[in-house]
Amino acid sequence: MIHVSQVSKWYGAHAALRGVSFEAPAGEVVGLLGPNGAGKTTTLRIITGFLAPSAGSVRVCGHDTVDQSLAARRCLGYLPEAAPLYPEMSVRGYLHFRGRLMSLRRGPRRAAVGRALARCDVADVAHRRIGQLSKGYRQRVGIAAALLHDPAVIVLDEPSSGLDPAQIRQMRGLMRELAQTHCVLVSSHVLPEVEQTCDRVVIITRGRVRAEGSPAGLIERVRHAAPYVVEARGEAPERVLRAVPGAARVAAEPAAPDGWQRLRLFAAPGAGDLREAIARTAAAAGLAVRELARPAPGLEQLFLSLLETDDDPGTGPAPAADAGGAA
Amino acid sequence: MRGTIPIWRRELAAYFRTPAGWIIMALFLVLAGGVFRYAVLEPGQPASLRAFFGLTWSLLLVLAPAISMRAFSEERRSGTLETLLTAPVAEAGVVAGKFLAALSFLCLMLAPTLAYVVVLAAVAEPDPGAVLAGYLGVVLLGMLYLSVGMLASAATSSQALAFLGPLCGLVALEIVRGQAGAFPPRVAEIVYAVSPSLRTLDFAKGVIDTAHVAFFLVTSFWFLAATTLLLHARRWR
Repeated sequence: MIHVSQVSKWYGAHAALRGVSFEAPAGEVVGLLGPNGAGKTTTLRIITGFLAPSAGSVRVCGHDTVDQSLAARRCLGYLPEAAPLYPEMSVRGYLHFRGRLMSLRRGPRRAAVGRALARCDVADVAHRRIGQLSKGYRQRVGIAAALLHDPAVIVLDEPSSGLDPAQIRQMRGLMRELAQTHCVLVSSHVLPEVEQTCDRVVIITRGRVRAEGSPAGLIERVRHAAPYVVEARGEAPERVLRAVPGAARVAAEPAAPDGWQRLRLFAAPGAGDLREAIARTAAAAGLAVRELARPAPGLEQLFLSLLETDDDPGTGPAPAADAGGAA
Repeated sequence: MRGTIPIWRRELAAYFRTPAGWIIMALFLVLAGGVFRYAVLEPGQPASLRAFFGLTWSLLLVLAPAISMRAFSEERRSGTLETLLTAPVAEAGVVAGKFLAALSFLCLMLAPTLAYVVVLAAVAEPDPGAVLAGYLGVVLLGMLYLSVGMLASAATSSQALAFLGPLCGLVALEIVRGQAGAFPPRVAEIVYAVSPSLRTLDFAKGVIDTAHVAFFLVTSFWFLAATTLLLHARRWR
């Protein structure tokens, strides 16, 4: 549905995107994840045809976004960042305007507006002026406009921005529902949201794709980097734990007044499960242990580890993509 | 062109949904009404609307940029240009829709002044040809000024610049035209040829010169084409 191939974008001498490639098929929610300024919005603007790539190409539903721009835009529904709308228009008036732009005839347009109002839960404000609405409502009106003509590809830039927790849950449900029949591309920097909503994640930092895959697959790649958490009391727990076979590094928090101390033990790559070795070593050294756990890593772990390794100043080659970068 | 009619409808309605549209219209009608009462309806004056058209041509220097300034600048500032240009509409259709809306607003602003023709016809015998030619001159001059304003609006996200740019440019052209007598004859000839206000004088006399009509239509078209190119080039900025 969306095929991004070796896309670069230069603003003067500044490279916003460098050789970005990824695909988003139908029936999936694909999340575009990255810190602020990573190039997410530029990527979405190129996919939707608002900007042209400096190099590379994008195909939407088989249409090149530069050479067959109108055909590509016809299959797209797009919610830009901050949901820009016309404040002087009513919600229903705005949706009808969008329907006319999409060449929907009167009957189908009225039906489409009714469906979009209901789907995005904005029917109760249909007659209100957009300028009088809260940010959450405006966001949902923007999404309703993007869905109006039932496009094959739906591109949403930060769709949960401005929504309250109940609305965010509703938005996730809507995205999952849409993904059954559409291709949904969502950008976000809210990690739990991406983790819970997306079938596949593309992580961008400094204009390059640094990792791509299912949230579970990406998390698996950083599992070895997740530390064991140990809470112990006794003689020099940090020194004792450093002696555990397979331990790479131990970080200790200051001991509490009652003597208990929390430590984080980082395993060397390929060390396997160290919980039993930690327990044995601690027992042999006479340490009392009241907690030994290895919290499951999340996308946040991966995200942070990618940012830590991202020492590329902006012009050099891509760093070795141990996380499976597709750059 | 795809998208022209929905954009024309939306833009024209937007002029009447915001205070700016009403303020521009009220300002014009108050000034035009004053001129009609004190310069046209006075005893001893000829039965013509020449004074009213003269004022309107001068006011267009200010009013046309005020009408066109929000066309693209406001969309760029608020971000709605992104939703508009990612819809399946051609840039030319967007420019045509916005231009036609601005021109329609100008015509609606002029419409109440048709009452002056009725009043004048009740008290004297104005030349219908001169009245028709005068209104045609106003609309053609308005088209040209609005198209210049469209180009300025597409070039900046600041409404103030989109207003002041064409205003200063058009006023400068008038000042240069006023001083053209001091220029070498060949330069003066060029200045007179490109001066829009000079061409409107014939319309005031009731003369519809096709060369003048063609001048206004062609120059307006080129400014609108330049606006379309500017919008298109934005994708590669």
